[in-house]
Amino acid sequence: MTGIDTELYPKAETRHNKTSSAFKNAKKALRDERISGLTGAFLALFIWGHLLAESSIIFGKEVYDIVANFMEVTIPLAQPVIFIVTIAFFVHFIWASRKIPGKLRERKRMLELGQKLQKSREGWQQDPKSDIKLRTHFETSLWITQVRTGMIVLAAGSFHLVLVTWNLFSDMGYLGQAHGFNADLTVARMSSGLWILYSVLMASVVAHMAIGVYRLLVKWLADTWFVRNYAKAFFYLLFTFYIVLGTITIVTASGAWEGLLS
Amino acid sequence: MARKLTFKIFRYNPTKENDEPHIDTFELEETPRLNLFTALHLIREKQAPDLMYDFVCRAGICGSCAMMINGRPTLACRTLTSDLADTIELYPLPFFKLLGDLSVDTGVWFHDMAKRLESWIHTTKEFDPTAVEERMDNATANKIYESERCIECGCCVAACATAQVYPDFLGAAGLNRIGRFMFDPRDTRGEQEWFELVSTDIGVFGCIGMMACDDVCPKDLPLLEVFSYIRRKMNSGVKVAVKEMDLA
Repeated sequence: MTGIDTELYPKAETRHNKTSSAFKNAKKALRDERISGLTGAFLALFIWGHLLAESSIIFGKEVYDIVANFMEVTIPLAQPVIFIVTIAFFVHFIWASRKIPGKLRERKRMLELGQKLQKSREGWQQDPKSDIKLRTHFETSLWITQVRTGMIVLAAGSFHLVLVTWNLFSDMGYLGQAHGFNADLTVARMSSGLWILYSVLMASVVAHMAIGVYRLLVKWLADTWFVRNYAKAFFYLLFTFYIVLGTITIVTASGAWEGLLS
Repeated sequence: MARKLTFKIFRYNPTKENDEPHIDTFELEETPRLNLFTALHLIREKQAPDLMYDFVCRAGICGSCAMMINGRPTLACRTLTSDLADTIELYPLPFFKLLGDLSVDTGVWFHDMAKRLESWIHTTKEFDPTAVEERMDNATANKIYESERCIECGCCVAACATAQVYPDFLGAAGLNRIGRFMFDPRDTRGEQEWFELVSTDIGVFGCIGMMACDDVCPKDLPLLEVFSYIRRKMNSGVKVAVKEMDLA
């Protein structure tokens, strides 16, 4: 029992100071949590809109061009959003990754525990008349998936951000088009092989986003009417919807399918 | 035809010289409504008299018999073998200090946690034994009761991946405990005290929301609800805390 003070009621520290290290640390922890959570929420909202806008190519190139023109010219939203998203992207990476353990041994321990809890169902056959209902637990593994997909998004997303920033502000010379995006440019790029990278990026972003939204909702709203089960249902809904939507979009944009209205 | 159960039990006695951690296998015939508490007693009685494990109440109240049962931390006394596969793997809870075989010391950690959180009612009021008891509304009383149902078995901490990596982390049991005092109107600690106590990386913001605690808690405590309550209280409490300090 080394290092354990056996005095029953130790004297409370006096803490009535804004400059005290305890208060500063507490404020820093809250600030860090706000930054990582808010940037994550913002990026999730952005991805919802972004994937919906991109999916307009399902209805044909003309619809896509209308949406692109609307975003870039009618309400010049695309240009400022690129800057904001790029900043949020890296801020989110720096602040959210503070929770990833630094040592390989620690990460392995987390992985091992997550897998064990997830697989524990195999060792439990659960009599239907049982007193205790075991819940399947896979959220620990989900968090690890989120870390991994986060790393993929960091790499592939950085490339994507550089590429679209370039496209948005310069004429790449494709088909002699003016600045900005259009369906021909997108299809030319996707069908030249970039669809592989974009498939990986889309799947990772959607998984990362859906898991993040689930955890964020549970962390902040579990004591309101929006309980964990709703958050979990929302997670499944988000994931399935955007994976399906993203897949159809990529198939269309890579030229493998003509689209609905063509 | 009764099933033949195979028990694979982790064995290690740290106080014995030259003892190496290993797995011992025991066999037992299943009887109706057999629970792990009885099964372990039978094994100790007939097969391994030196098997170490903890039991007190055998009714899911004392929290001593928590162990890893087929990969999942839960109470052995409340686990019927009919819920388990033919092979039953038993390990001690991780995170806590191993006393031997399946027995761990959760007490030192819980005691230390209680002291760090000063888990008692802080009040300056003089106790008057003749006065009428103070009243509390039912919703508050229920909230406190729900948090106080914790039996300190340690399952939540054993299932928490964050606690495995950051040993200082308060864990679900610690956060639930502090929530209990935050709910309590008799505790006179102000926003600033709560803020410094739990708005830290080993407090509520150390939790990264993997929810294993909520899934394994044998008493079904509303852990996630308590955590979000604390989180939002910290989020809004920082302004109040600064005001409090300005007044002081």
